[in-house]
Amino acid sequence: MRKYTIIGPLLLILIWAIIVHLQLVDKFFLPDPWTVIGRLFEVIWNGSILGDLFSTLERVVLAFVVSLIVGLPLGLWLGRSEKVYRSVEFIIDFFRSTPASALFPLFLLIFGITDKSKIAVAAFASMLIIIFNTAYGVMHAKKSRILAAQIMGATKAQIFRWILFWESLPQTFIGLRSAVSLSLVIIVLTEMFIGTPSGLGRKIIDSQITYEIPTMYAIIILTGIIGYILNLLFLVAEKRVLHWNGK
Amino acid sequence: MIAAISVNNLGKSYNQTELLKDFNLDIEAGKITVIFGPNGSGKSTLLNILSGIVNKDAGSYHIKDFNHFQFSYIFQNYRESLLPWRKNFDNVALPLEIQNKSRQEIKQRVEELQKLFDFKFNWEHYPYELSGGQQQILAFIRALVTEPKILFVDEPFSALDYENNLRLREHLQKYYLAFKPTILLVTHNIEEAVHLADKIIVLSKRPTQVLEIIDNPLPYPRTLQSLKDEQFHQVKDKVLSAFQKATNL
Repeated sequence: MRKYTIIGPLLLILIWAIIVHLQLVDKFFLPDPWTVIGRLFEVIWNGSILGDLFSTLERVVLAFVVSLIVGLPLGLWLGRSEKVYRSVEFIIDFFRSTPASALFPLFLLIFGITDKSKIAVAAFASMLIIIFNTAYGVMHAKKSRILAAQIMGATKAQIFRWILFWESLPQTFIGLRSAVSLSLVIIVLTEMFIGTPSGLGRKIIDSQITYEIPTMYAIIILTGIIGYILNLLFLVAEKRVLHWNGK
Repeated sequence: MIAAISVNNLGKSYNQTELLKDFNLDIEAGKITVIFGPNGSGKSTLLNILSGIVNKDAGSYHIKDFNHFQFSYIFQNYRESLLPWRKNFDNVALPLEIQNKSRQEIKQRVEELQKLFDFKFNWEHYPYELSGGQQQILAFIRALVTEPKILFVDEPFSALDYENNLRLREHLQKYYLAFKPTILLVTHNIEEAVHLADKIIVLSKRPTQVLEIIDNPLPYPRTLQSLKDEQFHQVKDKVLSAFQKATNL
């Protein structure tokens, strides 16, 4: 089935080429796919984009790691007691529903115009998603295995370590995957709208302002590819760790 | 008679339906007692109350020298009680890990059981790689690895084919003869009941009462040959007559 994956991108490029060929839009604002793909290889080959790429990746990874370190234990802990989770549910849902971009000014006030504020806002939003999913995974764990362990005389700590944690993993992984995607979105967004010397978001805005349209498209595609690869990495990890899921 | 478990005036309702009312029962120590009754007579509920996972509404019960580490319960839905993220061996090891036993000791206990039952398992595989019958045997071994003094079994064989069913009956008897635990088994299969039981307790419909207690003098171990024995049929007829009274069939 893997070979069918390629059909989608090819179809997209074909439609793009047809639109440009029929001159349905101004060629200046939508160059043909070959120009854009050529530019993408060019900026990678001559290394001019690598600095921005690594800055963005570094921020995304940092934001994700911070959200994981804070969010995972917090989610596991909150999920253990439905009462505790319900008491903080409103805070989590409220900030989860607030567009993270609306929080930029707040984080700018706290952290200043630094990398820290970009990473903090991305980590904050990702953390909420990880907390929410992990806590739900723990709360909605199947009761049958927990009962079995209780009958065997397991302590609460043993049940948590050997059963609840594992029962919650499938839902936790959904959270991690959404969180890493969201981290990328917010980091690129902050790079576009909060000043930064380097980063893919900054490059996109710069190419737009200077009308380097092929470069702009090339970097947009590059960010898409990164998002896709990050998602794919998590799917592969998920398949390995959760080989037992649904069986 | 030494009662291992005694139940006094136990009551339990679900949604205004009285399942158990003034229910009394004594279970003899070191015997296999089978509870046989119509559907919905609260057989499983009784086991769940006695094992402490369901609350009673009224009455009391007492289990002599109750200790979680020497008590096992084999559930009907074995698939949902095994841990799919653990290898087969680690599933069997779970109750002993809970008791903080060393890896060495766990291996030894499993080997002992393996010798007693003469079964083969690929310990490095996962439960989902086993057939349903093998999964039930795995759950069975997990329950016995702690050498429980009291064993509850809730329709353990209902999902098995006849061959695996007979095999598990053989294993259960082997364990029983070697360790003499108190076994309380719930079933709705009359052949199973008579094949395994020292005593068969026939229950009525709701609200459930003990209708009749039938002794089964057939000597252990009971083999396939026992199923053809004249005595087997006499006991089975008695159980059937009692069941007829219970169901008005």
